[in-house]
Amino acid sequence: MKKYKYILLTLLILSVTACRKLDIPPKNIIEDADVFSSSAGIQAYMARLYSELPIEDFRYSPQRGLNFFWIISPTPATTGEALSRDQTSSMQENFGGWSWDIWGGSYTVIHDCDYFIQTLPSYAKNFTTAQVNAWLGEAYFVRGMTYFGLVKRFGGVPIVNKTLNYVVGTSTDELKIPRSSEQAVWDQVASDFDFAIANLPAVNTDDGDGSRANKYVAAAFESRAMLYAGSIAKYNTTTLFDANHNELCGMPASLANGYFQKSYNAAVMLDGVYSLYLSAWSATDKTAQYQNFVNLFSDASSKENIFVREYQYPNSVHGYDAYNVPRQLIGPNGYSSEVNPTLNFVEMFDGIPKNADGTIQNLNSSGQYNLYTNTMDLFANAEPRLRATVILPGDVFKTQSIEIRRGIYTGSASGGINPLLPAGSRSQYPTGNLITSSTASQTPYTLPGGALMNPAGLSGIFTGDQTCAISGFSIRKWLNPNLPTSQVLENNETQTWIEMRYAEVLLNRAEAAYELYTAGQAGTTNYQQDAFDDINQIRSRAGATLLSSTGSMTIDSIRIERRKELAFENKTYWDLKRWRTFAKEQNGTIYRILMPFYSSQAGKYFFDARTDERNDVYTYDPRWYYEQIPQGAISKSTNLVQNPGY
Amino acid sequence: MKRLFYYTALCLVIVAGSSCSKIDNYPAPSDTINGSTIDEVTGATVQTEVGGGGTRVELLETSYSSNPVPIYFQSMQDGTFNNTKVFGATYKVSVQGPFVPLIQTDSVGNVLTDSSKTIVLKNTATLNFKVQPFLRVEWVGKPVFNADSTVTVQVKITRGTNNPNYQQPITDVNLYVCNTHYDANNNYDPRYSTLTSYSGTSGNSILGQVITITTTGGALPAQDVFFRVGARINAVYDEYNYSTPVGLTYP
Repeated sequence: MKKYKYILLTLLILSVTACRKLDIPPKNIIEDADVFSSSAGIQAYMARLYSELPIEDFRYSPQRGLNFFWIISPTPATTGEALSRDQTSSMQENFGGWSWDIWGGSYTVIHDCDYFIQTLPSYAKNFTTAQVNAWLGEAYFVRGMTYFGLVKRFGGVPIVNKTLNYVVGTSTDELKIPRSSEQAVWDQVASDFDFAIANLPAVNTDDGDGSRANKYVAAAFESRAMLYAGSIAKYNTTTLFDANHNELCGMPASLANGYFQKSYNAAVMLDGVYSLYLSAWSATDKTAQYQNFVNLFSDASSKENIFVREYQYPNSVHGYDAYNVPRQLIGPNGYSSEVNPTLNFVEMFDGIPKNADGTIQNLNSSGQYNLYTNTMDLFANAEPRLRATVILPGDVFKTQSIEIRRGIYTGSASGGINPLLPAGSRSQYPTGNLITSSTASQTPYTLPGGALMNPAGLSGIFTGDQTCAISGFSIRKWLNPNLPTSQVLENNETQTWIEMRYAEVLLNRAEAAYELYTAGQAGTTNYQQDAFDDINQIRSRAGATLLSSTGSMTIDSIRIERRKELAFENKTYWDLKRWRTFAKEQNGTIYRILMPFYSSQAGKYFFDARTDERNDVYTYDPRWYYEQIPQGAISKSTNLVQNPGY
Repeated sequence: MKRLFYYTALCLVIVAGSSCSKIDNYPAPSDTINGSTIDEVTGATVQTEVGGGGTRVELLETSYSSNPVPIYFQSMQDGTFNNTKVFGATYKVSVQGPFVPLIQTDSVGNVLTDSSKTIVLKNTATLNFKVQPFLRVEWVGKPVFNADSTVTVQVKITRGTNNPNYQQPITDVNLYVCNTHYDANNNYDPRYSTLTSYSGTSGNSILGQVITITTTGGALPAQDVFFRVGARINAVYDEYNYSTPVGLTYP
């Protein structure tokens, strides 16, 4: 009986299972046809490409890399723009730390671009020619950006413009693509951007808000990249050749003018398409100029925004405000004051009293401190752009006066107050006659008139706790003035990152033009006059003193203008690299700070300018101009030659 | 009882079966490469700094591959080096530091000179590289304590090479103060050290002169300190040439 049951079961199994075809497309794998047949599929592919664009935004720091939420070693604290309690020296980028795989990550993006470029044409019948060309243009744009991200770090890298297919069991030798020369990679960047310029429309029809590329976005980045390339050709001194005489690091100086010319030409393409933001600006009103520069970073309708990265809660967020608000506006989960602008940075600006050597004038002619009723009096005529970039001691933010005070000086003031330390001293302040506070929980001091005053300001400076304005200044740029303090949290901010704005294009154009002018390149354009006009447009909007004549302009004044305008936008790090001036600026350097004190006897404030009290020394090693190729990449592909000095 | 017996037997089988194979069949590296970088004129070792900013030795294991990934180890501060954990093999050895490179190339990458040494390492190899330092930094007399408890030193800086490609002007001359003898650009007390930069060709005027440097920042703390003078030109990795470190007892 049991036997029949088994026979029956066998028959049933055989008859029921044998009917279906087994060879069907897998249901759980997205295939080319799913992606490339509809514009929604393309949109999804693009979302990934754009999210992996290597741009140094709110989620970047040299310490932890791209697209990382925790920004407590901020980029400006590596360039001398600012001091931070968590960043105490020069540094190169920390690949490999915090799972930052710049090498493998970039080649994944390049592969994704190559795959898109190879595959889309066979699905072209589903779309209009204009759509196909625009999308191909975007893929070339993303690939150009990614090669740019590699070449600015490593010099020459392997160029891989087709997807590689490895057949299991075969040799891996042909996957071990050697590095191309640095020149070849810069030319690759230029040709990818040129393709994008030729194929992209003037306005991106999928997203016209600046978050996706159009013709002019590609041109703007070409102007940035070619300026970088020209600077390397002109200023770099490191060279590295492989066995076949490819120059992996460095380029012949004779190429510089060609790159500067490309940069200039690309920048000129944006003439009249984008413009400097002037919505709230007035030629005669410094407050309006200040407010205009503040608004520039939050007005989505700004014609200055060329390419932006948008954030959205809760999918894509950052913590800029949480890390950087002044101490007295600290959010519920702690942090604050990670970026404290240095006095070196502030002294670049106009409108503050200065000594003949350009340093801030805080002493009178007899060598004693100048006295002020309010700390803002020193900055009464400061350039509006400075106020919009840096919170000066006593300035107003979120309706509060941001109080920054190092301590109360109780010594006699009747004959004037002599400097607390000899000029240039790096010692601690003498503790006699000085009331200070080590933390934010303060014991008020009774002033001679009977009034109470905390030794330190609400935003510092505290001697035992660096969560305060350790330089005497706090950062203003990018901060959202409308974010309630209860919302100043990590992973909660969504203001837009402006990666490329028209001001940079003008500065690229000015620098390229001036380099061409000094190299004696005279075309139909008067390059010197062009640079002069560009710089004065920037200065006029900023409320700065205009250049008086073309002759008063130098390459240094153009560079300083760039550093002021683009400060705290993670651009200066790359500028100092390409100018090859990092190691000169950071050569046993201790940055300067400005400490406000209140004299209880005089009832007034005075300022002491000195070097960083922590004595943090910045020394940039010139071999960092070319980063170390990750050792893991060389182990996998032994044809890769390491950069010099590693 | 029977079950216990089976379990015990099973454990024995597992232990016996899994413990037989050798874990590592290659002996640990035990050969030694030592030696020094020596100024070919004075015969003294070329002073450098510890860590990544100083002289290092490059090993190319040519018996393993014609295009090997280089292995590096750092020299000691006095210009000598000693690595006792090297595999026996054929190596092409060179040193890199603040001296005229042993391997020089022209502007298109052709090798002009190559004074690296090829050795077949068995037990110990001692290699003394004769090099031309970019600069020689020599003490003139001893550091002197001043009445205000600062210290003044005198040094003479001369070029160590006649090679025209390495005659760049001096860019920095620094007096380093430190509380250990590991006293260099990567380790000094910034409060008292005196750093001087020269722009353009202005640094050339001090070549061959006796120059006097005094510590900065007022009185030195009451403890024994070490002094060292470093100078550099913009060549190769911009590394410093140093004097020997000199200790001074606080009076």
